[in-house]
Amino acid sequence: MPPRASKRKSVPPNSSTVTSSDGRSVSNKAKTKGMEKIDRLFNTYANSSLGMIDPEGIEALCADLGVDYTDVRILMLAWKLKSEKQGYFTREEWQTGLKALGVDSLSKLKKALPELEKEVEKPSNYEDFYTYAFRYCLTEEKQKSVDIESICELLNLVLGVQFRPQVDSLVEYLKIQNDYKVINADQWINFLRFCKEISFPDLRNYDANQAWPLILDNFVEWMREKQS
Amino acid sequence: MSNQKKRNFQIEAFKHRVVVDPKYAEKTWSVLEHAIHEIYNHNASGLSFEELYRNAYNMVLHKFGEKLYSGLVTTMTAHLKEISKSIEAAQGGLFLEELNRKWNDHNKALQMIRDILMYMDRTYIPNAHKTPVHELGLNLWRDNVIHSSKIQSRLLSMLLELVHKERTGEVIDRGLMRNIIKMLMDLGSSVYQEDFEKPFLEVSAEFYMGESQKFIECCDCGDYLKKAEIRLNEEIERVTHYLDVKSEVKITNVVEKEMIASHMMRLVHMENSGLVNMLLDDKYEDLGRMYNLFRRVPNGLSTIRDVMTSHLREIGKQLVTDAEKLKDPVEFVQRLLDEKDKYDNIISQAFCNDKTFQNALNSSFEYFINLNNRSPEFISLFVDDKLRKGLKGVSEEEVEIILDKVMMLFRYLQEKDVFEKYYKQHLAKRLLSGKTVSDDAERSLIVKLKTECGYQFTSKLEGMFTDMKTSQDTMQGFYSSHLELTDGPTLVVQVLTTGSWPTQPSITCNLPAEMSALCEKFRSYYLGTHTGRRLSWQTNMGTADIKATFGKGQKHELNVSTYQMCVLMLFNNADRLSYKEIEQATGIPASDLKRCLQSMACVKGKNVLRKEPMSKDIGEEDALLVNDKFTSKFYKVKIGTVVAQKETEPEKLETRQRVEEDRKPQIEAAIVRIMKSRRVLDHNNIIAEVTKQLQSRFLANPTEIKKRIESLIERDFLERDNNDRKLYRYLA
Repeated sequence: MPPRASKRKSVPPNSSTVTSSDGRSVSNKAKTKGMEKIDRLFNTYANSSLGMIDPEGIEALCADLGVDYTDVRILMLAWKLKSEKQGYFTREEWQTGLKALGVDSLSKLKKALPELEKEVEKPSNYEDFYTYAFRYCLTEEKQKSVDIESICELLNLVLGVQFRPQVDSLVEYLKIQNDYKVINADQWINFLRFCKEISFPDLRNYDANQAWPLILDNFVEWMREKQS
Repeated sequence: MSNQKKRNFQIEAFKHRVVVDPKYAEKTWSVLEHAIHEIYNHNASGLSFEELYRNAYNMVLHKFGEKLYSGLVTTMTAHLKEISKSIEAAQGGLFLEELNRKWNDHNKALQMIRDILMYMDRTYIPNAHKTPVHELGLNLWRDNVIHSSKIQSRLLSMLLELVHKERTGEVIDRGLMRNIIKMLMDLGSSVYQEDFEKPFLEVSAEFYMGESQKFIECCDCGDYLKKAEIRLNEEIERVTHYLDVKSEVKITNVVEKEMIASHMMRLVHMENSGLVNMLLDDKYEDLGRMYNLFRRVPNGLSTIRDVMTSHLREIGKQLVTDAEKLKDPVEFVQRLLDEKDKYDNIISQAFCNDKTFQNALNSSFEYFINLNNRSPEFISLFVDDKLRKGLKGVSEEEVEIILDKVMMLFRYLQEKDVFEKYYKQHLAKRLLSGKTVSDDAERSLIVKLKTECGYQFTSKLEGMFTDMKTSQDTMQGFYSSHLELTDGPTLVVQVLTTGSWPTQPSITCNLPAEMSALCEKFRSYYLGTHTGRRLSWQTNMGTADIKATFGKGQKHELNVSTYQMCVLMLFNNADRLSYKEIEQATGIPASDLKRCLQSMACVKGKNVLRKEPMSKDIGEEDALLVNDKFTSKFYKVKIGTVVAQKETEPEKLETRQRVEEDRKPQIEAAIVRIMKSRRVLDHNNIIAEVTKQLQSRFLANPTEIKKRIESLIERDFLERDNNDRKLYRYLA
């Protein structure tokens, strides 16, 4: 699970379920056979009073999947589920997501993870996933930026494999600079573009007169100073 | 014609055979030949024009034009060869004279011959495509005389020798030259050019190359230019006297190239006498001469302009970065104005008010004035000085002139908003202390600023004036409705509208009882007529006039600040007060209080208070007493003025910070305005447009603009285009 941007547990989103008298959630939709299995899997991890899988449930899920909960694959799963709230899966998200994955059991889910990785890495999906990762960290209402600490971890998680040198330098810079205490969505998306477009580490084709966010201008200047 | 019977009337060609005497042509020709001889021998008087004409006419008529023509050619050629010999024989200077004489003779003869042969000229010659008589005569002269091997080169060298003689100062026979040259011109422009002009230009080029080399070694720039000008005029005069007018531009080009263009750089940069020295010494005549000469050659003027520009920039840079000169802002600005005047004069007197030079001057000033980021502050201080005292007793027109000059410097500023900030501060102080020399001058300057920068720039300044006027009216109203107060202390309140005046932190202090009561009455009066407003007393900006009587009975009227008044009034009820007591009683902040006490106890001539101990600084344990021994030769003593001064370092930083803060919303407003109308725009264009829009107030920093754009993106005013990262889109 990606690090939470805030420690405070905020109100979970409304789930489209009605709690029955015995405490078990009942879906409004008609249950199909396949959906039954998915549903049952859901219930295994869900917090019954909330009617959705909460962070504890997710931790349990991870343990069962044999995946560390800070692993990027969980983030990818969240993306596939189109999960809105960090740390929580609603029944609907769970159902839609697992159906899209074509799995209805834990073992199938485990097997689907590598394929999911490949799917995410497809160029058409990757930018979407990348943007999603940032949004996922906006836990407060009306929150628009994420603190530097979390951004650094997120960068590592999301871009670390593909763009290791860039991420290392960028993270180093972000930690020592003072101009920005938070990163907004615009800056975030430009980090990816930077990694994709700019040759590294020579930074030969970087032009500060173009519309790169100022933070990247400063980063490049810092890098160049370091290199000389 | 009616269809009548065909008659047998026909006019037939004359079939009668005319027998022409075969010897007829011979006979006629010899008559004519003889005549030509006679003409050339100056014996024409004995000939009958009519008879000769008839003879020539008949020859042509009877188809003997060919014979006549060729005969003419032969005869004339023979004569010209004779003439040639006689010219060759002439010695020395007589050569040209002989040539000239023979030429005149030939022309006269040619004239007569042509008259005689006019019929042939008009009929046979055009039909047979032969050269007309007159032209033939000239060509034959050219071929047989001018281009004869013995004459051609001798002629040229004689002509060139004469020109050279004249150039070296000798007097020559110009009339003769003119005639010879005219002869060449008459023979055809190619003859003139080939046989004279081309070699003339070549020889002239060599001559002037040598001459210029000689001069440049031994003359300074001014003298050299004088000599060059003389030579140039000489050549022009030469042309008018005896050369073809078309040669003028060619020979002047030669002189310009050899004497000016080749040595341009060396002249301009000549040590101790070059352009820079001329500029420094205001040598208008030399500069004018240089301008007139250099404008004739390619890049001449641009060379002068470039050297002038770099010199100006150098001087200007020194001026604005010289720490010594920066100590006195008024002096600093005066020096700038003097420099501008100097160059304005140079351009008008020596450079014909050339616009390109004016532009170079302007761009240079703009360059170095903005090198020093305190220029806006200093210019405002200069104006402040003038409006306080500098313009006292100066006529209205002169005031206008000075203010116009200041405006001109203002135009060069890139950071006009910084000027505005300082100007506001200084104006406020002037208005509030009543220290302005002329209200008209103040208003005149505001009008000029408005014309230059628009209403927005000056609306607040005008607001300040309005406040002053309104306050006067308010005071009148106050006193007329409170007649019982006319005996007490006179209160003069200036009510300042917060937005128009420079922001001040409002610090209050404890006013003496008499004053605070009065102030309260005013407050209720004012709020009575202006409900919904809030008044806050700016005790750090006020002044007071106090009448004081000292130990030996000496009376003085003291003009002090409000703070000082508060302190002094305490001594009505106590002889001795400690620092702490004063601080507590008045509530004045410590640093201000210390300054205030210092000005009254430690300054010679203004020491109405005595301090124990007598040290220079105010210590927290000090005690203050009235200085009963205070003397001053003036009845009215001024202590503590609120004069505008050069800012201290921390103040400067603060002002600059405020200016930077003020710029942010302006940049954002510009960005939003532009994006709203353009909808989609790329990065570089936004930067360019924003910079342009804000140009009249300050030079916008591209990095700052970028920051503002990012801030606007964050606040969802703009977004980046999904595909092209460089494009921004306006979000309605």
